[in-house]
Amino acid sequence: MLSYTCSRLLAGLPTLFLVSVFIFSLIHLTPGDPAVLLAGDNATPSQVEAIRTRLNLDRPLWQQFWMWFSNAVRLDLGASVYSGKPVTELIGQRLEPTLVLSAATLVITVLIAIPLGAIAAWHANTFIDRFAMGFAVIGFSVPVFAIAYVLVYLFAVRWRLFPVQGYKWLEDGLFTCLHSVTLPALALALVFAALIARVTRASVLDTLGENYIRTAHAKGLAAPRILFIHGLKSAGVPVVTVIGIGLATLIGGVVVTESVFNIPGIGRLTVDAITRRDYPVIQGVILFFSAMLILINLVVDLTYAFIDPRVRN
Amino acid sequence: MTSWSLRAVTAAVLLSTALPASAEEVLRLRLNGDVNTLDPISTTNFTIRNAAYMMYDTLFAMDENYSVRPQMAEGAEVSEDGLVYTITLRDGLKFHDGTDVTAQDAVASLKRWGSVDGLGKILFSKTASLEATDEATITLTLTEPWGLVLDALGKISSNVPVIMPAEMAANPASDPVQNPIGSGPYRLVPDEWVPGSVVVFEKFEDYVPRSEPASLAAGGKIAHFDRVEAQYIPDTATAINALIAGEIDWIEEVPADMLVFFEGQDSAQTLAARQSGNSMQLVVNHLNPPFDNPKIRQALQLALEQQPFLLAAYGDATDRYQECAEVFFCDTPYASGVNTDRVLKRDVAAAKALLAEAGYDGTPVFLMHVTDISTHDIYYSVLKPMLEEAGFVVDAQPADWATVATRRASKEPVANGGWNLFFTGWGFVDQSNPMTNVYVSGDCGNAWFGWACSEELQELRKDFANESNDATRKELAKEMQRLTHDLVSYVPMGQSFPSVGIASNLEGYINGPVPFFWNLKRAD
Repeated sequence: MLSYTCSRLLAGLPTLFLVSVFIFSLIHLTPGDPAVLLAGDNATPSQVEAIRTRLNLDRPLWQQFWMWFSNAVRLDLGASVYSGKPVTELIGQRLEPTLVLSAATLVITVLIAIPLGAIAAWHANTFIDRFAMGFAVIGFSVPVFAIAYVLVYLFAVRWRLFPVQGYKWLEDGLFTCLHSVTLPALALALVFAALIARVTRASVLDTLGENYIRTAHAKGLAAPRILFIHGLKSAGVPVVTVIGIGLATLIGGVVVTESVFNIPGIGRLTVDAITRRDYPVIQGVILFFSAMLILINLVVDLTYAFIDPRVRN
Repeated sequence: MTSWSLRAVTAAVLLSTALPASAEEVLRLRLNGDVNTLDPISTTNFTIRNAAYMMYDTLFAMDENYSVRPQMAEGAEVSEDGLVYTITLRDGLKFHDGTDVTAQDAVASLKRWGSVDGLGKILFSKTASLEATDEATITLTLTEPWGLVLDALGKISSNVPVIMPAEMAANPASDPVQNPIGSGPYRLVPDEWVPGSVVVFEKFEDYVPRSEPASLAAGGKIAHFDRVEAQYIPDTATAINALIAGEIDWIEEVPADMLVFFEGQDSAQTLAARQSGNSMQLVVNHLNPPFDNPKIRQALQLALEQQPFLLAAYGDATDRYQECAEVFFCDTPYASGVNTDRVLKRDVAAAKALLAEAGYDGTPVFLMHVTDISTHDIYYSVLKPMLEEAGFVVDAQPADWATVATRRASKEPVANGGWNLFFTGWGFVDQSNPMTNVYVSGDCGNAWFGWACSEELQELRKDFANESNDATRKELAKEMQRLTHDLVSYVPMGQSFPSVGIASNLEGYINGPVPFFWNLKRAD
């Protein structure tokens, strides 16, 4: 298992290199000059040129890439051209809100989606099934920002149960922190839950046709026990796979949700960096996301072994 | 523990959590952009200018009658020949690190400002020496008399000549200072500053305000809040909801289509900032065909009129905009109606006739249609059909503002990355003064984007700078407007009055062209 994990991690390195080359090329092909944006509307060409020189943007592209890459292998991702702060520090500052939001989303998602999918499968082709899957279709079809605005209107503006925007840090208290991310996590979870509920339903439905489930029925086990203990466990592999893939989708969702709810996370950092053409931050964040995805895929693969003994063998 | 003591402990815990340790007054703001630097000399960005006013002070400042008054300065004495200005600093001025503000700091700050700012450069081109004669006295000696010295030193908009410690001012102007220190009524809390999220200021207890009442940027700057948080909330709808819910206190700009959110709300209101009007302009590139031909530029004026643009952008919020073709803005000291007919009235037949007379060969007009700023997006959507109806061939390409901001600097032909037209916006403070209005320089290759060229305009501007008689200045401004509209440096697209969103329990707000947060307090 250890050698498998190590080889998977090493295999990720060429991927990270390719991603960095691709991102560097892509952002430099995009029109727009960070020096112009930094200088402001009323700047003269000489002011802009002075900033370009200070940021090394006047050097050939290959030199700029080499400067960035040789530092990146030493885990130095450079400094933001926009704020002057080190990219690693910026990512570090923004990590907590994104992790808390993602974790809260995952918990809400699992709490909604898995029971919903399992119950739909148990009552397949009945009104309950159609109702549950109808909910899933709506959840998957409505854009995150639309759900977000509806939630804000109802729960924050009208009933004043949650804050409209902003993030409270963990150091302010766990409850305060979770209270501040409840609405954004719920907005994200509704989309995510829709996907997982459908996969759970399909997977559980397959399992319910197996002989051992029939045996459990014959033994006279109670329905909840058959469904949640015997059925769900075997149906777990596809569900975990989709949760893993969904985490990648979640990154996209986080970008939108963090903007709507004004959460200073990595999603916001990414959007802001792109609009400002803050090259070192864009490169650093994409590299960070890529590394996270490689890790998530590895964790998902390792999780199979825990869920399904056949994989372990 | 007895039930009585248990109850007492419980009550004490509840009380201690229910009441804050001290009733700290916090003001929460939403500026239009993010505060990535607090060096207003390194950038002309208005968000940075607005945030910088919290923590820096200036020698002179503009009051609500557009007169320049002393601020950090006790006053200025001018020699009889108009060549020597002796400026004395007020007593008790301190920087936020506790050190005294000295004349040396002021001299170093002004020199840094003068190396980048347009008006500052003109001042320094006429300066023989600028020296600290003693700890509190600055002596400016000119090579020739210039009537705008105090206007320059009391400039209200970018770049504002703020005073910082001499060591900070030794930094090149292109290199933003990293640990900014000012001497204004609020000071930065560096540890809580997260670029892209929030910048925090706290009341500077050692600040000595002037005794006069606050008047725009001048007068007594009294800080009534212990702490000010300027949050970066990118989504406007979120910011408005937060204001209505009482989570923030002030929004710099509420778009016209969101004014409806405030109807029937007790917690927040909007104020139309008439004195802080903005205007949209269609900037014309004089270097590239077809607009290298003056007649085709005038046909462009005839092809357009402001009303459809303003209606599309502001709808029925008619108190938030007005048609205005005046180069120095409407309702300002230099406003006049000279030569505005062609600009204000659309005449498609006349435009077509002028195009034919000019021999327009169908060269496409290249538009960079900005899609990420809603007002710009609307204006471009109206512009294209209006131009086509008047006989122009139009090539509109979608772009984001970052792309346009970069491409507009190109003097190349369109095929090599150049451009023909783009929309931009300028504020009242910059445009109402002939010395800072970028469209009346006529400075050819050194002019602002578009590079309109007119030696006559250049001469007029020089005359204006050297003239001290107000009536003559007004005549010169009228002549500048006449020439500018003939030259078509740009086409004015109307004046709008952005609405500020503000919590109903705040009073003393200075509703000016630049937002200031001194004098503002929470009503009892």
